[in-house]
Amino acid sequence: MPDLNIDGPQAGLRQGWSAAVGDYAIAGGWTLSGEALVVGDAAGGIYVFDGKSGATVWAFPGIHEGGVLAMAIHPSGTAFATAGQDGRILIWGAAEGKVSRAIDVGSGWVENVAWSPDGQWLAASCSRQVRAYGADGAEVWRSDDHPSTISAIAWSSAEELATACYGRVTFFDASSGEHRQKLEWKGSLVSMALSPDGDIVACGSQDNSVHFWRRSTEQDSMMSGYPGKPSALAFDHTGTLLATGGGEAVTVWSFQGGGPEGTRPGVLELHVQPVTTLAFAPRGMRLASAARDGAIVVWLLQGGGRGSPVGTARMADLVANLYWRPDGRALAALDARGDVTVWRIDSRHDRS
Amino acid sequence: MDTPQKVPVSILTGFLGSGKTTLLNRILSEEHGKRIAVIENEYGEVGIDQALVIDADEEIFEMSNGCICCTVRGDLIRVLGNLMKRRDKFDYVLVETTGLADPGPVAQTFFMDDEIRAEFSLDGIVTLVDAAHVEQQLGRSDESTEQIAFADVLVLNKTDLVNDEALDKLEARLRDMNRMAQVVRSERADVSVDTVLNLSAFDLDQVLERRPTFLEPEYPFEWTGVYSLDMGRYELSLADGPDPAMSLVVVSGQGVDDAALREGAEWCVRRYAEPAELIRPGEQIPVAKHVNLQLDSLGRKSFFLDVDTRVRLGLYAQHTAEEFDLELTNADGTTIKQEAERTWVAQHEHDDEVGSIAIERDGDVDPERLNAWLSELLRERGVDIFRMKGFISLAGESHRFVFQGVHMLFDGQPDSPWGDSPRRNQLVFIGRNLDEKVMRQGFEACLI
Repeated sequence: MPDLNIDGPQAGLRQGWSAAVGDYAIAGGWTLSGEALVVGDAAGGIYVFDGKSGATVWAFPGIHEGGVLAMAIHPSGTAFATAGQDGRILIWGAAEGKVSRAIDVGSGWVENVAWSPDGQWLAASCSRQVRAYGADGAEVWRSDDHPSTISAIAWSSAEELATACYGRVTFFDASSGEHRQKLEWKGSLVSMALSPDGDIVACGSQDNSVHFWRRSTEQDSMMSGYPGKPSALAFDHTGTLLATGGGEAVTVWSFQGGGPEGTRPGVLELHVQPVTTLAFAPRGMRLASAARDGAIVVWLLQGGGRGSPVGTARMADLVANLYWRPDGRALAALDARGDVTVWRIDSRHDRS
Repeated sequence: MDTPQKVPVSILTGFLGSGKTTLLNRILSEEHGKRIAVIENEYGEVGIDQALVIDADEEIFEMSNGCICCTVRGDLIRVLGNLMKRRDKFDYVLVETTGLADPGPVAQTFFMDDEIRAEFSLDGIVTLVDAAHVEQQLGRSDESTEQIAFADVLVLNKTDLVNDEALDKLEARLRDMNRMAQVVRSERADVSVDTVLNLSAFDLDQVLERRPTFLEPEYPFEWTGVYSLDMGRYELSLADGPDPAMSLVVVSGQGVDDAALREGAEWCVRRYAEPAELIRPGEQIPVAKHVNLQLDSLGRKSFFLDVDTRVRLGLYAQHTAEEFDLELTNADGTTIKQEAERTWVAQHEHDDEVGSIAIERDGDVDPERLNAWLSELLRERGVDIFRMKGFISLAGESHRFVFQGVHMLFDGQPDSPWGDSPRRNQLVFIGRNLDEKVMRQGFEACLI
């Protein structure tokens, strides 16, 4: 291990601005090509900060009664959707700071929202149902009830949506809502990540394992032995590396060659508390990880999944989420106290 | 970063109609200064301002390994996961399950999920029992049986709908099933908040401090009569009965309500543990002493009680008044009717599949043999063992070892030092079709 310490000099990360929202910062994202950062909190507020200075551009405290649960930035960066315990989805114009459409989904919590890669569809899950809306917010279809509350949703392509719940992953045709494929496994799937080509589906499971399927070959595998439940999962932009949490170590599986079955993963060790979130940089081989104690580490990975830390930083409390700026040159962290901090990335170490 | 205190969680179970909603409303409306979040699976009309009420559908998640103790409640993980993000908004969580809920997965959620375990601690399981209908329910459903087996507190509710004798019998039956639980009687779920919140039933750091013994006593007496007496001499007479002798403790200043009777009973348990003074017919019975009335002569036998000031006396007798046709008369020969009466009959029918096994032994235990025995027991019978609790005197250790568990989940740690107190062991297992003899032998083989 290089001589990097979580409390040591923040090599590779230069602190930029800090700001605060009203409560636990639940979700966020960069809009307008990184010119603004949006953050939603547990008190239901939506805040927008200037990407360069951190100045509050506008704030709507308590707009989602009961709290914000999810947020998705439109691929264009000019709009975003927020969802909450109030059973509503709000679609916002990023530049105007105005709600362009409010959708009443129902009385349940809206726990997941996701834009399709082409920005034509917005998917949202509420309890056991997933619904698809057009870009204007008009509902196109809704699914039957899943066997349990939907834990995660993701687009495998512009034409296909995936949902995860207890016992299965289901693929839906984006325009008709018809089932395209069901992958079943007896276990509670708590998180999901799809490779960029949509072929590999990885799910963290309640029983402290990661289950994944290759859709083209219908081959499935289970990686077990995690000390905790792997709720944090992230694929790199090439789809060859899958980073997983589920403990204090970050475990990186490589899908190169015949892997990861029968291979040893890269194990990135520096955190002293369980990892809460993982985010790969939009390009290159940098991975950011954060933990319950507020520690943040940026790693530079090699092809096989091994890697070394190139920067560390610290928030005051549990880090809820990390967001890379679209240009990959800044990283925003949201924590449980409602603090928001942005670091600029020193790319001297970047060899990719 | 501060390590925040874990938020305590109580689980409230009980069949439909047992009074869960009434109890919930009571807890929420009482001035206890706690901010309580409520997770409901049965959507009631609870609408209390200070409470954060969240409805959730029961979702039971079994794992691919098929292990029963890995089964958790997905809805709780999800709701609690969101609640902990607003932890400054509440101090306590109450989970109200449906009438048909199996308490196992609910309890296991607090041990099996690492994120929940980091933020919340299971405080205790409270089961409401409808005194008027539980007998029928017990015959028909596994869930009601398991709700009783898992409980730390059994609230015997709607006692106004059942006569005292039936109530005593029911309580005895419930105690046979679960000797670990405290039994509280109520009419309209009117129990104090302290009996259901802050139980620390799963907290090994506190469990011995709060309850030095895990066993609810099996009373050595079957009957109590309370008599209101003026000054004077009274005659206690008994006809021939099933035994040639009967133990008795007379309590002065006895109250008549259930709480007072229970308090008297606790006090008498300790008197009963003392050697008895033999009293022959014609002799006087001392107050507050364990006496043994000698009844081996034929015919009606009389003993005397001297009362020097107006007082209520509680007679805690080894057998029921009926068995010996026990009568108390004053100097004029007038029979005094008791002001209150209750039986403590441990019916010992054991016709329930679910029961408690309590093992109490003096001495030290060999740690390796204990470990082997417990591991095998949990591996083979873990599915049938709902709860267990105990403390052990491990050979060579200066501190008590305390443990508790749910199914195969086992948790143990050293507790307070033995000091000069006699070293002993107490274990309680609540389960289905447990073989008491085999378990006793198994534990005894661990003793040194």
